[in-house]
Amino acid sequence: MTDTPKPKVWGRWVVLGAVILGMFLFTGFFGIGLGLKPVQPHVVLPAEPLFNLGSFQVTNTLTALALADILIILLAVAISGAVKKGELILGGIIGAVEWILEVLHGMTEGTAGKWTKQIFPWFVTIFLIVLIANWTEMIPGVETVGLLHEGEGGHYQVEQWGPLNSIVEPAEGEHTGEAHTTGYHFYPFLRPVSTDINFTLALAIVAVVMIQYFGIKSQGASYFNKFWNTSTVFSKPIFGVIDFAVGLLEIVSEISKIISFAFRLFGNIFAGSVLLFVIGSLVPVFAQSIFYLLEFFVGAIQAFVFGLLAMTFMAQATQGHGGEHHEEAHA
Amino acid sequence: MDATAAKLIGAGLAMIGAIGAGAGIGIVASGAVQAMGRNPDATGTIQTNMILGIAFAEAVAIYCLVVALLILFVF
Repeated sequence: MTDTPKPKVWGRWVVLGAVILGMFLFTGFFGIGLGLKPVQPHVVLPAEPLFNLGSFQVTNTLTALALADILIILLAVAISGAVKKGELILGGIIGAVEWILEVLHGMTEGTAGKWTKQIFPWFVTIFLIVLIANWTEMIPGVETVGLLHEGEGGHYQVEQWGPLNSIVEPAEGEHTGEAHTTGYHFYPFLRPVSTDINFTLALAIVAVVMIQYFGIKSQGASYFNKFWNTSTVFSKPIFGVIDFAVGLLEIVSEISKIISFAFRLFGNIFAGSVLLFVIGSLVPVFAQSIFYLLEFFVGAIQAFVFGLLAMTFMAQATQGHGGEHHEEAHA
Repeated sequence: MDATAAKLIGAGLAMIGAIGAGAGIGIVASGAVQAMGRNPDATGTIQTNMILGIAFAEAVAIYCLVVALLILFVF
C-alpha cells in the first residue's frame, strides 16, 4: 500500500446517487420507478411579478439581481478580509478573482493606455455583475421553485403533494385543444436577471452614456465633431459631404450599440434558460448536465464580451479620430 | 393556414439568418487559429480581437433569435 492519503471520493457516490434517484423518479426504471413525466415548459418572455411594495412591482428577476448583489458583496467582504490579513498568496476563490482582475487589467492597459485607471472599474463592474447574474441561472431551484396562481389562460395543471403543489403534465388530448381556459400560472421566486430586457437595456444605456462621457472628457467639445463633421464640407466639396454623412451615421451607430449590447446578452441568456428547460423536459436525466456546462461557458463569455466591448468603445472614444486630425494639421 | 402555424413557420424562417453568423464565426476562428499558429507570442492580442469579432458576428444571429422569440411568445 502507498503512504499517500486516500483522496476523498464520497463526491462521486453523491453524484451517482443523484443520477439513480433521477432515473427512479422520471422513468419506469425496471418497473420500479415512479414514472413521473417531465412537464413541457411554457416560456414567458416578460418577468413575472411576485409582490408589490407600495406601487412598485417586485418581479422575480429583481430578486435574482438582489441575490447576485449579495453574492458580490460577500465576495468583496471575503477579499477585503484576505487583503487586510496581508496574505501574500491568495488561495481558492479569492485567488481566482485576483487572477481574473489581473488578466482584465492587462487587457485594459493594452487597449486604453493612460485611461486605464478611469475605464478599468467600469469594465470590471459590468463583468462581475453580469457574470454572477448569468451564473445564478445554474443554482438549483432558480426558475423551478415558485408560486402558483390560478387564473385565466394558465398553462399548467397542478397536483397536490402534501403541503406542496407540483405541476403535472395535462391529461392526454387536453393540451392539443384550446378547451381548458383555467389553469395555473407559475411565478418562480428567482429568474436570472439577464433574461429581463430591462436589466440588459439599462446596462447598455449606462455603458453607452459612459462611452460618450469618456469621449467628452478626453477631447472636450471636439468630440462632437465625430457626429457633426462640417470641417471638410467646404474645403473638399465631394468628400466633405461624404464625411458629413458618415458623421450622421455615427449617431446611428451609437444607438445601434445600445440595441446590440442589450439584445446580445438578453438573447444569449434567455435562449440558454429556454434550452435548459426544453432539454430537461425531453431527457430528464444526464442530458441537462452537458448543457449546464455549455451555459456556464456562455454566461462567462457573454459577461466578458459585454465588458470587453464597453471597454473597447470607451478606449476608442478617448482616442478619437487621430488620423483625420493629423491630415487637417498638415493641410 | 391558422395563425399558430404561420407563427411557427415565421419563427423558423427568422432563424435562417443564423447561417451567416455561423459562417462568420467559423471564418473568424479559422483566421485567429492560423494567426496563432504563425505567431504564438501574439496569442493574447489575437484572442481578444477574435472574441470581439465573434461577438459582432454573433450579434446578427442574436437579432434573428430575438425576432423568432418575439414571434413565438409575444405576438
